[in-house]
Amino acid sequence: MHIPDAFIPIPQGVVYWLIALVFIALALRWARSEMSEEKIPLIAVLAAGIFALQSFNLPVSMGTSGHLVGGALAAIILGSPFAAVFILTLVLIVQGVLFGDGGITTMGANILNMGVIGGFVGYYTFKALMAATTNVNIAGFAAAWLACLIPALACAFEMYFAGTFPLREGLIAMGIYHALIGIIEGFVTVFAIKLIVTARPDIVDFALPVPVTQGVKA
Amino acid sequence: MDNRTFIIGGIAIAILIGVGAVFFASGDPDGLESTALVIQGQKSLTGDTPPDAEIHEDTTGKFSFESPMPDYSLGEQFGPLGGIIAIVAGTLLAFGIVLGISKVLVAYKKKAKTAEANQ
Repeated sequence: MHIPDAFIPIPQGVVYWLIALVFIALALRWARSEMSEEKIPLIAVLAAGIFALQSFNLPVSMGTSGHLVGGALAAIILGSPFAAVFILTLVLIVQGVLFGDGGITTMGANILNMGVIGGFVGYYTFKALMAATTNVNIAGFAAAWLACLIPALACAFEMYFAGTFPLREGLIAMGIYHALIGIIEGFVTVFAIKLIVTARPDIVDFALPVPVTQGVKA
Repeated sequence: MDNRTFIIGGIAIAILIGVGAVFFASGDPDGLESTALVIQGQKSLTGDTPPDAEIHEDTTGKFSFESPMPDYSLGEQFGPLGGIIAIVAGTLLAFGIVLGISKVLVAYKKKAKTAEANQ
């Protein structure tokens, strides 16, 4: 989903950068007020993990591959959509500048799609489904799936505004491919949540529901 | 699990995933690239991607930038080793940059709190 420079005209890229900068500023404010010494290793390890996972494309049929985006994972584990913006922004800068994965003028659009939209969709879907089901697997999977699909649809609109894709065809193809890629996103996110919660429950920003056990009379 | 073990374990897993990507990642285009190929008539929506399919990029009036390690590699002459070096460098850099900026932000917060307390 990394948009290259050639896909968006520079003036439109500037607009997406300006929108992204607003969220980056809010993410830095979140980091300054919410981040603590204990959480720094978790945040840095999450960034490294998301970078590595984004480089691993898995086949999803129809001659297409996909990888984890990570917005939902970061937002869920750190308890804020701004955590996703913070981590994804820095990861996307490294990918764009060093590896040419995603453009420079389009980096604002990529931050907006994967960090902002992915983070917000992932976080609030997880929160709502945890309240409704208290099942981390269902909430995590659905949040991650939507956090892959919705940014892809947003990207299709951006491609339409850029004159790169026609709207209908763009929405259909991006929707179908990312609905499949979202399944990978869902499984990896749930697995990563379980792994991190098992390793460091003290620094994760949500509590796993405690199983209700039947009281036994002595 | 203490911080040190968590960091070492986390980085080790990330590097293993990255190295795995060098050897086992799918060569098929990703969702955005596949969509571009469909739009450009080089691929059907549900069919396989032809081996010679290539995205035509209109770079007229667009920004162009040559990254030092395009496609997570150091060039064909370095083979898979170049890919491993690129991925490991990227993983450590992502870790280091986020660690560094987070530490600066926390230090700034501490300093502001101390200054507030001293007033």
